Amino acid sequence: MRELLPFDHRPDAELGDALRQALDPGDAAAFVARVLARVDEARPASWAAVLARWSRAGVAAAVLVALAAGYLVGRASTLPAARPSLSDALITPPAHPGEVEIVFASVLGN
Amino acid sequence: MPQPRQQAARIAQQDEADLVARAVAGDRAAFGALVERYAGVARRVARAVLGNPDDADDAAQDAMLAALVKLEQYDSRRPFGPWLLRIVANAATDRRRRRTVRRAEPLDPGVAAGGPRPDITAERRALSERLRQALAELPERRRIAVVLFDVEGYSHAEIAAVLGIPEGTVRSEVFHGRRRLRGLLADWKEDG
Repeated sequence: MRELLPFDHRPDAELGDALRQALDPGDAAAFVARVLARVDEARPASWAAVLARWSRAGVAAAVLVALAAGYLVGRASTLPAARPSLSDALITPPAHPGEVEIVFASVLGN
Repeated sequence: MPQPRQQAARIAQQDEADLVARAVAGDRAAFGALVERYAGVARRVARAVLGNPDDADDAAQDAMLAALVKLEQYDSRRPFGPWLLRIVANAATDRRRRRTVRRAEPLDPGVAAGGPRPDITAERRALSERLRQALAELPERRRIAVVLFDVEGYSHAEIAAVLGIPEGTVRSEVFHGRRRLRGLLADWKEDG
């Protein structure tokens, strides 16, 4: 065996062989097959797939927004403008004190 | 004029860069070629860290798949091996930290006691057991450094890149690791 030098930059073939045998992992083909069998699970989605997913979500969101907007616009145009009549104002209890007096004042004024 | 060895290394690096580019583009066969090329060293490094061969294969597999996910981040101007082995070493270290139930295979009592060696195969097996045991006693970084240097033939600079430590520290780790293992090997030869 060679003398051991602190800065020996040559690999030790004898020790290397012994360690290689000690760490021998066995069947390489089975390991490679095992890794490749899981490639599809690990592989990140391609850009095209990511964009396609985003565009699908975008289209769905746009459809929802359009439907909601259409519903609101349609509803606004079909409902008549509600304007309280004088009797409604008299029957409905006042939300704020003094409101009835103002209505009376305006009726008496007429 | 470049030396033949340097030229071969450059061709190998170019070849790997091509394989990586194809693998990034989704070429399964290219990724398979990379896995095939590095399966041995990845599994040995993982086993040096973990001891147990099944755990080592799990870690090596996790590392290969993690490398596939990160492949776009790999700088093809640098050698692929150290980049991949850094991921392997991290995966193995991670697994060792998380491991709570399974332990490394127990040493054969006959081997531990330096018992009788009936034939050469048994002798080699026993030496391997003792070397694994001796490796397991080394600090983790030292194990990886010795295996990459003496078994896989990586340079100190490449090992420094794998371990993320200065080159001088790698030299020291290799030196101390070898001293222990060579001593064991020498004792074995003297006994035989």
